[in-house]
Amino acid sequence: MAYLLPSLPYPTSFANTVYILFFYCIIDCMFVYSMCNSVCVVAQVRPLHGSGCGQQQEAVGMETRPETVSIFRTQENDPACQSEQHLGQYYTVPASHFHTVFPHGLPPRYQQQVKTFNEGCVMVRQPALELISHLKRADYINPTLRYLLYGVKGSGKTMSLCHAVHYCSTQGWLVLHIPDAHLWVKNCKELLPSSYHASRFDQPIQASNWLRNFRTTNEHFLSKIKLRQRYVWTKRESTEEGRPLGELVDMGVSRVKSSSDVVGAVLKELRLQAGGTEGGFRLAVAVDGVNGLWGRTTLKKEDKSPVAPEELTLVHNLRKMINNDWCGGAVIATLSQTGSLYAPSSAYLPQELLGEEGFDSMDPFIPVPVSLYSEKEFESCYLYYLDHIHFHHWLQHPHSQTEEGKKELIFLSNRNPSVLERLCAFL
Amino acid sequence: MAAHTLKKSIWSIGRIHCHVYGVNVRNPLNRATYATALSTNHSSQNKGFPDRGNRGPFNRRSRREAGDPRTDRMPVDQDWTTVYPTATPFRQGSVPLPVRMGFPVKKGVPPEKKGNLELIKIPNFLHLTPLAIKKHCEALKPFCTEWPSALDTGAKCDEHFPIKVESKDYVSAGTSLRNPSARIVHLRVSLSACVNYDYAMYLLTVLYHESWKMEAWESEKTVADMEEYSWEDSPSQKNIMSTLVRMQVAGEGEGEAVREELLGRPEVQEYRDSVTRLKNEGESESSMHQYRDAVKKLLNL
Repeated sequence: MAYLLPSLPYPTSFANTVYILFFYCIIDCMFVYSMCNSVCVVAQVRPLHGSGCGQQQEAVGMETRPETVSIFRTQENDPACQSEQHLGQYYTVPASHFHTVFPHGLPPRYQQQVKTFNEGCVMVRQPALELISHLKRADYINPTLRYLLYGVKGSGKTMSLCHAVHYCSTQGWLVLHIPDAHLWVKNCKELLPSSYHASRFDQPIQASNWLRNFRTTNEHFLSKIKLRQRYVWTKRESTEEGRPLGELVDMGVSRVKSSSDVVGAVLKELRLQAGGTEGGFRLAVAVDGVNGLWGRTTLKKEDKSPVAPEELTLVHNLRKMINNDWCGGAVIATLSQTGSLYAPSSAYLPQELLGEEGFDSMDPFIPVPVSLYSEKEFESCYLYYLDHIHFHHWLQHPHSQTEEGKKELIFLSNRNPSVLERLCAFL
Repeated sequence: MAAHTLKKSIWSIGRIHCHVYGVNVRNPLNRATYATALSTNHSSQNKGFPDRGNRGPFNRRSRREAGDPRTDRMPVDQDWTTVYPTATPFRQGSVPLPVRMGFPVKKGVPPEKKGNLELIKIPNFLHLTPLAIKKHCEALKPFCTEWPSALDTGAKCDEHFPIKVESKDYVSAGTSLRNPSARIVHLRVSLSACVNYDYAMYLLTVLYHESWKMEAWESEKTVADMEEYSWEDSPSQKNIMSTLVRMQVAGEGEGEAVREELLGRPEVQEYRDSVTRLKNEGESESSMHQYRDAVKKLLNL
């Protein structure tokens, strides 16, 4: 049981912590207890890759606790530098990024998992890597490219979307993340007739919530972008040309009644200014559950007649964003059957969920299929949950640590990521 | 002794004239009634209450105990046609199968057959087992005539009976006993059997010319009425044209010339094929992959 405890003099900008790195042999995993006793940030100074002799180095995570070497974890926490060799491995999203990048975008079970494990680890998978490579190589003078993630329920579409969003935000793009478009077409208590357009309807609560989260994500852009047009809200209130976007957003959050129109104005401004030559930024529009924009709604007008999606201001404006008549960014969308209305539960292919109208609007788009876990990815996920047995007592059942148990898990979950997560949750 | 016999005779009369003694003649308890000196009057249970017949809270007397269900006494090789000779509702005591039917309550299973109204409501075909049908056929045979021996080959049947009418009957257990597919009847005639060749040619010519005639309402055919998807003039084509034009792929030039040139490109052709396939054949993984490759090539990814 010989092991080394070197203390490497890594220069870090966070001088109050000391990293202690451990060397392990992959075949013979051992647990070594750290002596670091303060919280460290996992922002890596330089990327470390798994070397040929099978040794890996791992830094201590967000809190004081023992860490093990893992072939399922990678040090490469920057999505831009991840490549095929990291396929199947987990990378940790730094804590500081978590609340700014994903105030509302993550799947709810994953959020619970993050709270429990105290770290957010995302697996590097093929669809996300493909997306990121397209985003890297695309030419942003051309009209916007639309990417559509599709796959069966629970296969990891939202997580891949969040991975791509993380990439965009680390690269300094402006991220417009709509966590679930279905939330805008159902369960809306208040529907106000729009002041701007007579036949449309506003949704003040949803719009102001979204604006708040948008503000959290893109703080640094809000002062830089200036409005190109004057917006008149009421007889006495208007926002002048040249004011920063932040002012508009703040107004939308505080004045809930006109928040839907503010959303429309924000989207329009961003569309005009993205990819511009002076102070140009790249715009990433990430929509989860995009099939909600072209279906039916469960909302009813006062005379009990159904509301069509295009009669909702929010949906109308979002559809304009998804068109490719602007340039300087990308539209990444996922299909979701889970929240969708009037769609059969086995539907997952694009045309089934989008419908004719949706398909024609999105056409031409690049479909990116998200499949269930492969052998390697399943291994990785299993080891990740097993890893937490020692620190978080996750996979507690003794049978789950055996080969037999693993085969049972494979059989029960059919390698479906969300099913596996639910199974392991009560093991 | 005489009094004894007298009592006995009165007792025996009493069994017939029930109202005299206030005892129900049909002795449900199957107890032997003894003619003894003491009248073992089972009306002691009555306790002086007026006879209410079979009703009332104390009608234990009239109630016969249910025996064992028939299923307990069924041998494996029994004749099922005696159990269900005709169409009758489901009797749980006669069907030796552990069927369950109904909506399961929370954390439960569908309810069992005992006292299950769902099983009684639905039509059942327990009286139509193959054996029963065989018996029916056997019973019907005396009333049937024999197949004519001269018609032993298919060719001879076709020769003598060129027109064949096919109709289908459906057996189903559902909310309705009618099946719309049963309304379809096929009438087949072999053209070579037609003797009136000239008339047939005349008919075909007329039909051909009629089919070319356009009615006024046919021009109102919309995209939704089309049987097949055609890519020309579809939103897909418009989208891709505008995208390509904006991508400045075609180079300089205006209007029609640019469009023609773009349409002629192999990538656009591939794209058109993939979209047509998606829309006409429906979606599948392979058609999605084809579409994906076509789009990637077109947009230079």
